[in-house]
Amino acid sequence: MAYVGIRGTAYCLNHASELGFHYGTTPWQERVAKPDSPFLTDLAAKVPGYDVVSRYAPNLAYIGALDMPAFAAAARPCMEHLAESSTRYGRYGEIMPEDEFLALLDICDVFDLIWLEKDFAAAMKAKLESHPVIGPVQIARLEAGHEAAEIEAHINDEHALPLYCGGKVVGCCRRGHEVDENLSAHVLLENIASKAGAVLSLLHLIKNAGLTPDDIDFVVDCSEEAAGDINQRGGGNMAKAIAESAGCSHASGFDVRAFCAAPVAAIITSASMVAAGVRKNVAVVSGGCIPKLFMNSREHLKKNVTPLECCLGGFAVLLGPDDGQTPAIRLDAIGKHSVSAGASPQAVTTALVYEPLTAAGLGFNDVDVYAPELHDPEITLPAGAGNVPEANYKMIAALAVMKGQLERTAIADFVAAHGVPGFAPTQGHIPSGVPFLGHAVDAIRDGRMQRAMLIGKGSLFLGRLTNLADGASFIVEKPVAQPAAAAVNAQDVRAVLLEVMEDMAGKLKG
Amino acid sequence: MSKLAGKKLILLGERDGIPSPAMESVFANSGAEVVFAATECFV
Repeated sequence: MAYVGIRGTAYCLNHASELGFHYGTTPWQERVAKPDSPFLTDLAAKVPGYDVVSRYAPNLAYIGALDMPAFAAAARPCMEHLAESSTRYGRYGEIMPEDEFLALLDICDVFDLIWLEKDFAAAMKAKLESHPVIGPVQIARLEAGHEAAEIEAHINDEHALPLYCGGKVVGCCRRGHEVDENLSAHVLLENIASKAGAVLSLLHLIKNAGLTPDDIDFVVDCSEEAAGDINQRGGGNMAKAIAESAGCSHASGFDVRAFCAAPVAAIITSASMVAAGVRKNVAVVSGGCIPKLFMNSREHLKKNVTPLECCLGGFAVLLGPDDGQTPAIRLDAIGKHSVSAGASPQAVTTALVYEPLTAAGLGFNDVDVYAPELHDPEITLPAGAGNVPEANYKMIAALAVMKGQLERTAIADFVAAHGVPGFAPTQGHIPSGVPFLGHAVDAIRDGRMQRAMLIGKGSLFLGRLTNLADGASFIVEKPVAQPAAAAVNAQDVRAVLLEVMEDMAGKLKG
Repeated sequence: MSKLAGKKLILLGERDGIPSPAMESVFANSGAEVVFAATECFV
């Protein structure tokens, strides 16, 4: 059985209320169609500030400031029971304030696309100099800044997009080409934001794993952005750009794309490379997605609930060779949703849960926690999308009943025992199982859990190339000790050679 | 004869619920015509 160790995890959120208000798809489209829309006025008045997002329990669970049992026991709705004080840093990462994130955009920009107003840039330099993982390599890339008038001219005359902080313009994102829409300021802002979020998580990962940037051999990005120009839309390799900005000078990289299933697919791909001995330390990373900020805010405002989609999500996972102790991914039981598997929930769950369990000789009850789409229900329920993780748990339980592994009356107990409440922002690929990996590694290492299964699903049909969805899954557990292979010594080799020579001599005589 | 025979159907599916291809297969022998089927993703 092949195992690949999970040597570290990192999870970060970037507060991005103003980026979301201006460039999230829903408010952006509304502004284009109806600039004086009451929806925009209402949204502007209700976007949550850092004081809210840094006291909101699902966010604290995401960065590891709240462990899973404490989060599960937290009073609901979490938005009405905010923590008494703000928390920026958790075991896995941080919730970065939006002003610092704008500075990080500039740090991660190597084409002079992001311009910051000079006083703002100076203030951010002072703040970031005390940051725990952003070091001199990154600080040196922060520009001195531009005059406000220069920025205003580029916004008015050169199609640059304004960047806001506290409602004021503090910079802009310039376009990369005059006519190529793939290099428009909007597309580049999305890509640089995704890159910057991934860089922040990768820097936290390096710290969490006790490594240096030079220890990273390979980076795999699994975000949902497409980097390229008119001749190669989506050409990619954001991963190598991320490695460069994080100072991983010995690393190369590539991207894996599979919509929201990409993180699980990227981890399986990376684990396979490690198991084959091709790479040693592989970091799977992703930043967040500006378009999805405030994606469901129209429904949130209609229901008079806080529009919580104001944080970009990011994560990084470090994979390395199995050491027999570190919680690990087992590669003999990978879930795959094939073209012919079928689209019904039963067919999808069979492919992603039942079949890998059967391959591993396990039953439904042998997995302590299933981690499917871990969307925060306080975001999805008022939006009309239901409680996504709970729906997945019910389907897994129903399949267990069909397979004769669970009593029908025990479905609710199964959901409670083998599920966790959703806690990830609706950032598409971010909630796809991976947010639980850090918690799973901690619980397995501490002996509180034996095994978890991570499940990712992707809506391929959104690309208009197929009606199919996709999915992938893997099991993480404490490695089972393999029987040691008998050592071979010179005497054994000599005996085999003698045996072969005698055999040949016999044939020659005959 | 199915109650749906001769009817026209519009099917809207959801990725984490019932996707439209699954609904189309359910109605395949109903005698109804699927005039539009789409799956959406709200997350």
